[in-house]
Amino acid sequence: MRRRALLLSLALAFLALQMSPVLSQEVAREDTVIFDFDRTVADPTNFNPFTPAGTTNRGSGAHQAMWEPLFILNYTTGQIDPWLGLSFEPNETQDVWTLKLRDGVKWSDGEAFNADDVVFTINMLLNDSTRTLANAADMQRHVKSVSKTDDLTVVFELNGPNPRFQVDYFSVRIVNSLLIMPEHVWAGQDPLTFTFYDTERGWPIGTGPYTLTSSETNRFVWDRNDAWWGAATGFMDLPEPLRLIWLSITNEETRVQLISNNEIDAANSVSLAAFEAIKARNPSVITWQDELPYAWADPCPRQLDINTTVKPWDNANMRRALSLLIDRSEIVDIAYEGTTSASVSMFVQYGSMQPFIDAVVEAGYAVPATADVAAGQALIEAEGWKLNNDGLYEKDGEVLSVEILVNNASTEYTRTIDVVVEQLRAAGIEAVARPVDNSTYWGSAAPSGDYEVAYGWLSCASVNEPWASMNRYTAQFITPIGQNAPGNNNTGRWNTEATAAYSEIVAQIGALPLGDPRVPDLVAEAYSYIHAETPFIPLVQASKLLVFNTTYWTGWPTAENSYNHPAFWWNSAHQIIHNLTRAK
Amino acid sequence: MEQTSPVPVAAIESAPTLQKPKRVMGRFNRWDTPWLNTKLLSGLGILSAILLIGLIGPLIWDTSLALTRAAPRNLPPVGFTNWRGQEGVWEHPLGTDNNGRDMLAVLIVGAPNTFLIGFIAASVGIVIGTILGFCAGFIGGVVDDFIRLIADIVITIPVLMVLIVLQSAFKQIDIQTMALLIAAFAWPRATRQIRAQVLSMRESGYVRMAKLSGASTFDIMFKEMMPNLIPYLFASFIAGATGAILAAVGLETLGLGPQRIPTLGSTIYNAIRGTALSLNMWWWWGLPSLLLATMFIGLLLVNLGLDEISNPRLRQASKS
Repeated sequence: MRRRALLLSLALAFLALQMSPVLSQEVAREDTVIFDFDRTVADPTNFNPFTPAGTTNRGSGAHQAMWEPLFILNYTTGQIDPWLGLSFEPNETQDVWTLKLRDGVKWSDGEAFNADDVVFTINMLLNDSTRTLANAADMQRHVKSVSKTDDLTVVFELNGPNPRFQVDYFSVRIVNSLLIMPEHVWAGQDPLTFTFYDTERGWPIGTGPYTLTSSETNRFVWDRNDAWWGAATGFMDLPEPLRLIWLSITNEETRVQLISNNEIDAANSVSLAAFEAIKARNPSVITWQDELPYAWADPCPRQLDINTTVKPWDNANMRRALSLLIDRSEIVDIAYEGTTSASVSMFVQYGSMQPFIDAVVEAGYAVPATADVAAGQALIEAEGWKLNNDGLYEKDGEVLSVEILVNNASTEYTRTIDVVVEQLRAAGIEAVARPVDNSTYWGSAAPSGDYEVAYGWLSCASVNEPWASMNRYTAQFITPIGQNAPGNNNTGRWNTEATAAYSEIVAQIGALPLGDPRVPDLVAEAYSYIHAETPFIPLVQASKLLVFNTTYWTGWPTAENSYNHPAFWWNSAHQIIHNLTRAK
Repeated sequence: MEQTSPVPVAAIESAPTLQKPKRVMGRFNRWDTPWLNTKLLSGLGILSAILLIGLIGPLIWDTSLALTRAAPRNLPPVGFTNWRGQEGVWEHPLGTDNNGRDMLAVLIVGAPNTFLIGFIAASVGIVIGTILGFCAGFIGGVVDDFIRLIADIVITIPVLMVLIVLQSAFKQIDIQTMALLIAAFAWPRATRQIRAQVLSMRESGYVRMAKLSGASTFDIMFKEMMPNLIPYLFASFIAGATGAILAAVGLETLGLGPQRIPTLGSTIYNAIRGTALSLNMWWWWGLPSLLLATMFIGLLLVNLGLDEISNPRLRQASKS
């Protein structure tokens, strides 16, 4: 008995020892914000944001809490909000850009953040002969040299005029922006293999108000650094949350349960029905708009990309027929339950894009919301296809079929394609969906052109000007089938005389400064080739029905309180975190 | 003598004599065959009822309603209301799912598809298993070693994992392909079981007699031994079908099944992905689950019934 008691007390003492560090770090739930993270991270100890493994790790809180961007594009005002950078001005010819940094910015280890870090990071990317580091190819394409004039000023000499240099790479235009790394840690490291993770040395570090406490494949914890530079310099107060957690949630049912029970504070996009279920159980949840469509449209409109090298879709008339057979409003009604709207062009339908969308519409190149089955069938029949007894088109004994590649990561995607498949079948095309997982879709199938038709958002890029999206279909990106298209651009290998003509006009647009009055007409002119050859088919605007919980935290971005968009997985989420206030 | 003899005889033999003639008579009673046991009959009844849904259903119900966008979305069954307060309508008596598929049509289309997968996979499995099992058990020697080795290797492969990999490698999966994929892993168990039976049967008198009378190996295997194995093969077939349906439903519930035409498993998968549990859309996951459960009970009863036929001891036990 005595021996057993001794063993028991030893075990208890051991347990207590094990528990004590955990207990000492306990943070109250009302001081913690828990974000939904829609994926798991294969290697939670890689914080190198430039390697492919590390890039997946950014959204685990790293670039929302620890790494701050230089600037943040404000979707509401259309302006670029300064953050670590104060200003970024081009010369008259748009080929020399001068970056002014904010004074007093410090890394979380106390070292100053300055022009040396910027020059070091850009040179690291310029010197990457493999061009595999994130942003390396972009920087090498645009930047001739980078130098510092003083501790807070950096001058970029570009290879040619680029009016979008700041917005494209340093302003969180979409999801990411180029992150500046601390020279005093990264110097001498091999950027291709460095993991930037060493708990004993306090790595990773950033300039943000939070530092990493723990990282696991499905859970990342960040605690507030009360010595944050921003509070010391008067840039901003310390954010209120003491702790931020990113929790992997990979299915909607779990998401619904957790936010209904106040176990998370921000949930990724859910379906309308799921939102209704949450709202019924937890009245303190809110979303971007408080009535239909509830959702926020992210800048990636959904579309079908067509592999223009595969018969019979190498024929532009057949591609136009496909587009005519699709009823976009039905996709909105069924797959989105009314939480989005039909696309009229390749562009995201934000106010800042309206002049360019209007130009496309006025020129008569808009895609209609409803299908014109008769016109679509007429185009198919003109190519010699005839309806057989099964109601499917047939030519030379071959049935007209199409296989649509779809990423099965979200029901949004698969439900859309379920509807498209039935629409095409009803019109006489034997359509089938080919669902693949996220890594197959982005890793090989889409970029290598291993598809007939691919559902996705491959024209996503433009937010406040048209060039970024249009440039993705230019001839410079044409790659043989089987090789990955650079940057997933022109994955459908659109390569005709029209592509060449289109690319020339897009290049002209690219050289004009932002807001130049000649741009809308040029957009319409370039779009005539897209309309005629239909290398892709715009479907609907994206819909993110993000759910925020006001039980513990208020100040979430909404259409009424739109200090910026609500994408809390983007590098711009610093703004959201700074706006949160404790509810009780 | 005349007075005493009938009384004790009757008294002594009353119990046995009452049963004996019955049992003797029973042999001539065409209804008293082991094939007509309650378990087998009720199992077959359940399975036929489900099959009938698939056979008669398309005649009285429009099965094209099982496809996306065929009906209004999220409707509950008649007599119930959904979370939006919508009531069920007779046009869709069992309700609809979130993509506008009519649940009755889904069940009518899905149930026979699920059966079909089980049937094809088990048939292929049992045919291969029988041939290999007989060859291994009867011929023996190197043939036995070789077949046993392959079967033992295949049997150790974690089937579901391989199937998941195979399914994702195939660009398109239809019901037949899926059944054949499952069949590729269904034969080793049947092979081993049949081999064991053949081994014990090989030494029985009638097989020896057949050997002595010069019957060919083929004749002995398939004319002499096979008929005695029929109930056993049936039971094996049913077990195989159960396993195949289970594997198919497992794959479908993981989202790896056929895409467009609904199966019971893919309907459950869609329901899980569509937050049916949180929305209390019980008709979406509940009805296919209920049908699957009934199907498995039917298969189990058939299996137990067949077991009784091939194993007379069980028959006696269940009668007493």
